[in-house]
This record gives sequence, structure tokens and C-alpha cells, in this order.
Amino acid sequence: MPLRIAEVLEITDLLWRADADGNRLPVLRADAVSRLAGRGQRRAARIVARMPGAGGVLDERYIDDLLVRVHCELQRLSEELQFARRIAELLGPLAARIREDGKATRVRVVDIGCGVGYVVRWLAATSALGPGTELVGVDLNATLVTAATRLAGREGLECRFMHADGLRPGAVIDDGPRTIVISSGLLHHLPAAGLPAFFASQAALGVAAFAHWDIVPCAWSTLGAWIFHQARMREPVSRHDGVMSARRAHPADVLLAAAQAGAAAYAPQILEGPRWHPAAIDVLRPVVGARA
Amino acid sequence: MTTGLVAGALLVLAVLDGAFSGFRASAGRTGLIGHRAADWRAARRGVTLACLLLLPAIAVVSASVLAAPGSLGAGTRAGVVMLAVYAPYALVVLLALACYWSLSWRKRYLAMTVILGPLTLLRPVVAIAGAVAGAVSSRDVLTSACAIAAAAALLAVEPAAGRAWYAQRTS
Repeated sequence: MPLRIAEVLEITDLLWRADADGNRLPVLRADAVSRLAGRGQRRAARIVARMPGAGGVLDERYIDDLLVRVHCELQRLSEELQFARRIAELLGPLAARIREDGKATRVRVVDIGCGVGYVVRWLAATSALGPGTELVGVDLNATLVTAATRLAGREGLECRFMHADGLRPGAVIDDGPRTIVISSGLLHHLPAAGLPAFFASQAALGVAAFAHWDIVPCAWSTLGAWIFHQARMREPVSRHDGVMSARRAHPADVLLAAAQAGAAAYAPQILEGPRWHPAAIDVLRPVVGARA
Repeated sequence: MTTGLVAGALLVLAVLDGAFSGFRASAGRTGLIGHRAADWRAARRGVTLACLLLLPAIAVVSASVLAAPGSLGAGTRAGVVMLAVYAPYALVVLLALACYWSLSWRKRYLAMTVILGPLTLLRPVVAIAGAVAGAVSSRDVLTSACAIAAAAALLAVEPAAGRAWYAQRTS
């Protein structure tokens, strides 16, 4: 029986385990391999089976280096799709509205699941949102946060990165009305059943607005993901996960229903072009909501 | 005259391909926002590697022509056919790059998604097809071997540069 799309796994999801306090747990090779093989993802299972380790546990140092390499490769694709510019173009008016409403002179942008912090660092490097913008990247993966901090330091960028659950009350967002929460490529890592709670947590924090970009699931995006990950990526993990991301992404109606269920006061909408005329630049499109 | 032009054109294409191969080996490795200097350095490294890897094939062809001037015709025939395969590909790539740099950022992605990405995927096929076509048209074993060796050398530039300078580098 063919797998439902949501059942396919990305390898990177299996390479990082943490307990409730965020402490890292060992990754058992046999466990990861069997989960992939059990879903018929034999190529992915072979990739994991070849990874170094000892005593049945994957080598943490190897995984750390691999995850950083995968995210740096992903950054290159984002550059080619002008992704950070598109985010800045959407966030500019949202930030201006917060300032005009007198809610704050300083606007904070929090990137949830920031990885190596490409979007945050690009916004910092270009000052695209103007002065008085506080840029924060948050990720559950401490290795990626360390890499993001190191990269920002090398270029002297004014932004910061935190190892935390960005949506836990009191963890990062302590001043919702001046905060815009963003993410890119995060939503497809969440199960559909968990999406309303994801949006509700932002509403509960009273954030000014949110904008979450993710892949449009369609044949074009899956084909494009395959071509570009084959052409641009070197890591077998990147090539595999890039295509799986497109396959498991949530359709617009699922995202919109979840956003309306969790954050109706934000009048959420999905900004995407017509489906009969797919523009490659819209392969990542946002769910946007702003508190009235 | 024709031989010189063909050889010169192939050399220019090889240098360009080496530069792009070096760039590709470096792209997506540093994670930095500002990487123009690193891109140029990678392109120079690619050109250097391409020249080094092509040297044996060029040396063998040159020596065989000096030893037997009659073999020049085979080399020229092979070169013309290789050029007929490679030049259109290179022209499309250069036009796409011109579009990339001249279009506004909103349209820039088109050059990447429609042309440059797919062509990168096709590059090994084009490289091998040109070499095989050149080899067949030369009707000469040594020239055929050199044509195929030259294509293999250029295909080796990107992985070699990756291993030499960019493996494991994430900062």
C-alpha cells in the first residue's frame, strides 16, 4: 500500500533527539534505519546505515558537522531563490505598522527553527528592516545555534541566537506586541494535528504578527526540489530530505484551517500565486497573520 | 588557422568551466552572508585545477602533432565537433548569467530555476557527449583518448576542488 505523504520521514529529523529539557540523547543507528526502512525509504535507510558510530550509536561529532553542512547547502538554495529578500519585503510593512501604532519603537523579529540563522543574519547584514529592529534566531538544536552564533560573529552582525523553545511562555518572547514571529521550512516538520496549537501558542504570547513560509506541495515543487537538490547539493542527506520536504508539506487548506483555529484574531491568510500558473519563486509561500 | 581557433575556443570554454566548477565546489560551504571574495577565490582555484588536470591531454596531443604533423587533421575534426556540442551549452549558460545579473531580484530566480539549475544537472552528459562525438569524428585512437581524458579532467575539477579546499569546511 502506498504511503500517505505525511508518513515519509526526513533523515535529519531522526539525527537529533532531545529530552523535555532540551538535553541531547544518543541516536541509535538501528532505530533510525528501521524507522526509514519500515516506511519503504530504503535509500534513506542505507544513507543512515553508512554513517559512522560506535556501539550502535551514531557519532555525535559527525552528525553535528553533517547538520551544519546540510543547512549551509540549504542557505545556498535560499540565496538563489532570493528568499531572504522576499521575507524582508513582507516584514517591512508589518514592522512599520507596529511602529506607527505606537506599540514600540523597537521591533523584534524572532525566527523559530532558524537553523544556522541565514534569514536573521541576512536581515542583520542588510539592515533591510531599518534601525531599531532586534533580530533573534531560536532553534531546539544547540549545534545549529552555535554555528549561527559563530557565523554572525565572523561577520560582526547585530543579531543573536538562542537554544530554546521559542514559543514557550517566558523563554524568548516576553513582549508580544512588538514581536513578529517568522519561520521558514518549519511547518512541514509539524504534524497536521499539531498545527492549531502552533498558531495558538503565538496568539497566547500576544505577538503582533506571524509569517511562516513553507513549501507548496505539488508535482512542480517535488520535481523542482529533485532537480535543484541533485544539481546543487552534495550531501546525500540534503538530496533526500529536500525532496521529502516537498512531498510532506501541508496543503494550503490545512495550513489555513489550522491558523484560523489557533489564531483567528490574526485574520490569517496564505499568500500564494495561482495554482495553474506556478511561479518557481512561490515554491515557498507564507501563512501570514497580524493582530488587528 | 582553423586549428588554432578551435583549440583556443576549447581552451576558453575549459577555463570558464573550471571557474564555474571551482565556484560550485565552494558555494554553500562557508555559510557566510558575504561570500563574494570566497566565490572569486574558488573560481581562481577551479581554473588552476582545470589547467593542471588538462595538462596531460594537451601535452599528449601537442607531442603527437609535433611527432606526426599529419595527425593535426584528426585533432581539428574532433575539436570542431566538440565545439559544436559545447559552444551552444556555454552560450545558453552565459546568457542565463547575463539575465541573472541584469534582471531585478524578483525575476532573477528565473535564470536559476529555468536554465542554470537544470543545465548544471545536464553538464556531465553534455561533457561526455561532446567528447564521444569528438572521438568518433577524429577516427584516431590517440585523439579519441585525449578528447575523453579532457572531458574527464574537467568533470573532475569540482569534486577535486571540493576535497582539496572545501571538505568539512563550515566556518
